[in-house]
Amino acid sequence: MTVFKTFLKILNRCKIAIIINSAIMIFIAVFNMRTSEIGMHFVASRPDIAIIDNDGGKIASGIVSYMRKGCDVKDIRDRGDALSDALFYRDLNFIIYIPKGYSEDFMSGKNPVIEVKSTGDYMSSYARMILERYTGSAKIYLNAFPGASDDEIVKKTDASLSLQAKVEITSKLDAGEMQKTTFYYNFLSYTMLAGAITSICLILLSFREEKIRKRIAAGGMNYKKHNMILILSCCLFTTAMWMIYNILGFIVCGSTILKTAGLIYAANSFIFAICCESIAFLIANLVNNKNAISGIVNVVALGSSFLCGAFVPVEWLSDIVLKIAHILPSYWYIQTNELLKKMEIYDINSLKPIFINMGVMIMFVIIFAAAANITAAKQRVASGK
Amino acid sequence: MFRHNFKYILKTLFRDRMLIFWTYAFPIILGTFFHMAFSDIENREKFDIIDIAVVREASGGNGNANANVNGNANANAKYNAAAYFFKMFEYMDVKNNADGLFNITYVNGGGASETDGASDTDGTSDTDGTSDSDEAKRLLEDGKITGYVTYDYETGEPRIVTADSGIEETVLKYAVEEMMRFGVMMQDGISPEKIMKKTAALISDVTGDNLSYTMIEFYTLIAMTCLYGGMLGMIALNHTLANMSCRGKRVSVSPVGKGKIVIGSMLAGYIVQLVGVAILFAYTIFVLKIDYGSKFLYIVILTLAGCLAGLALGIMLASVVKAGENIKTGIMIAFTMLGCFLSGMMGITMKYIVDKNIPVINRLNPAAMITDGLYSLYYYDTMDRFFVDLTGLLVFVALMIAISYGSLRRQTYDSI
Repeated sequence: MTVFKTFLKILNRCKIAIIINSAIMIFIAVFNMRTSEIGMHFVASRPDIAIIDNDGGKIASGIVSYMRKGCDVKDIRDRGDALSDALFYRDLNFIIYIPKGYSEDFMSGKNPVIEVKSTGDYMSSYARMILERYTGSAKIYLNAFPGASDDEIVKKTDASLSLQAKVEITSKLDAGEMQKTTFYYNFLSYTMLAGAITSICLILLSFREEKIRKRIAAGGMNYKKHNMILILSCCLFTTAMWMIYNILGFIVCGSTILKTAGLIYAANSFIFAICCESIAFLIANLVNNKNAISGIVNVVALGSSFLCGAFVPVEWLSDIVLKIAHILPSYWYIQTNELLKKMEIYDINSLKPIFINMGVMIMFVIIFAAAANITAAKQRVASGK
Repeated sequence: MFRHNFKYILKTLFRDRMLIFWTYAFPIILGTFFHMAFSDIENREKFDIIDIAVVREASGGNGNANANVNGNANANAKYNAAAYFFKMFEYMDVKNNADGLFNITYVNGGGASETDGASDTDGTSDTDGTSDSDEAKRLLEDGKITGYVTYDYETGEPRIVTADSGIEETVLKYAVEEMMRFGVMMQDGISPEKIMKKTAALISDVTGDNLSYTMIEFYTLIAMTCLYGGMLGMIALNHTLANMSCRGKRVSVSPVGKGKIVIGSMLAGYIVQLVGVAILFAYTIFVLKIDYGSKFLYIVILTLAGCLAGLALGIMLASVVKAGENIKTGIMIAFTMLGCFLSGMMGITMKYIVDKNIPVINRLNPAAMITDGLYSLYYYDTMDRFFVDLTGLLVFVALMIAISYGSLRRQTYDSI
């Protein structure tokens, strides 16, 4: 009990670090969890665009009103650097500059050119397709009906573009909710790893300080019992940390946590929490300097989170990075979350890869625990017990 | 005495391993992580060929048979519309057209698939009247295709089936609607040749070259390193403050002017800081291949000013805050990280959001001024914005030094 009480006392000293870590996590998680409109029905993607219409003629107005149907036209004024900044920071995907006299030139059979600026991504390519579709169609009608007025051309073009294709989506999942939950649990890999290493290392290193270690060795308690209590205390701390973060998950992500997927998310995060604990044990046995802990936490936790897709979506990481990430437990943890995001049927076949990922994480726990034990034993021998 | 103090402060700072880790190694490690995580994002966002399936079954074969056997004009027209529909898909297949949008797997109702793009189907077609295909469904479930398209021969309407919503699915919908548009145009009496005829380019892209937004991450990293360098100035100054350490007490009672000691310490801190930033620049330019634009001289000027801002901030905190070294360092780190967060380190759009909604915050934030200065050199051709940022930094430096001067001058202790 004395050991456990001391454990809690030291833990109390690192509470600020843990609270700050959790607060940052919740803040960033909530900030990044876009309330996605993706649901059970098909929702067409809408690029964000700006249109600078210096013409105002019939054809130009036709373009503007058609672009509004397929894109979100943002009201950013063409003043100073506002438009360029918006494009750089991807607040806009596409900017259309309709030159003065465009409609007149178009109707007189010239080929007036619309200048555009684009971010070069999927959304901007799609916005360009929509614009090309309108100008192309209007041109076809103009060539086919040379005597037609601008009103007629716009009317015919609009009519030809009015048909909508039917889209059915097969997924029964609420993709928006699953995306939110996966983001939370992926981010949790950083918070748990950083939290476990900071707290457990600081506590274990406090027990290993020269004077304290000697006092403990001189005391009546068997060192095996002493170590066992320390390990159990760390397990208790890890479980408590895991429970708190799952309760927070329930608050942030809502009812998804209570469904089958939620249970697997929770189980997966529990195995990962144990893994974090074993990593913390190993680091505590390898390092002797408390001041070095914050550096190590940043390198280990930030490193594995960046490489495995906790901060950046996995599908955006390069293949080489993902290959390197295989040697980190966070990779297997995040892979399970990503599988759960798209899983609709829970049977042996679909759950098999998840069990494999969990198995790999358990292997990591065994390896880290064994390595921690070996280094601890070596240090005990080196320091004459 | 100035040289003596300068030399020893320089040695002390270089030998402080924790300090060197945070100001030299940590930015390099973080930069490496950024590079690994972000290097592929922009490529992955670019338009790519979309894998889809086209279900042709009930179709080619059946329609053809009906048309031939009955000689029914209506059926013939339907058949023509269907044939035209599938022909359009062949045109958009990347296997037939280098500019195609899709990589198409042609699927027959019976389940067999062919990927060679051959246009005719044989007797494997479904006869139950539905136009779905097990093969297409399976491909969709396995995530091999974005979606599949079927065609209803009776109504002449295409139908798209996708797994969920997204940009690729939207592009598929766009392509099908293109075909529906051609149908309307043909009804208006325009021949397919006229519809398909290539027209002169009506759109011209005038976007500049430098549009890589992940650069902001590296600019915030430079900003962080410049401001973190303030820790060096802070620790150097702490060595000379009587209320901070025994060494400070001894320095205070020594018969040397405070100005000499303080300036010597600051210069040492500034030099150690500049070495760190120079190493980071060299690493990001030569190893990570980060593009800072072509105006290198201005980048150097901005960095010198940025480091000075970090140093001035460190001196201000060291002289004004009456607390232990750890608390001072904590405040310094918290201020730097908050500044970097607001200038986009933890999410690139953060800087834009702040600039757009509460611009005054980033006008006062040295990390944002450094980031914005580097961004303006990279993205804009004009220099106005750069000079605004540079002036802002220098004003910040002057303000910090003025506060520190007020706090440090004539600081004496009767007993301590």
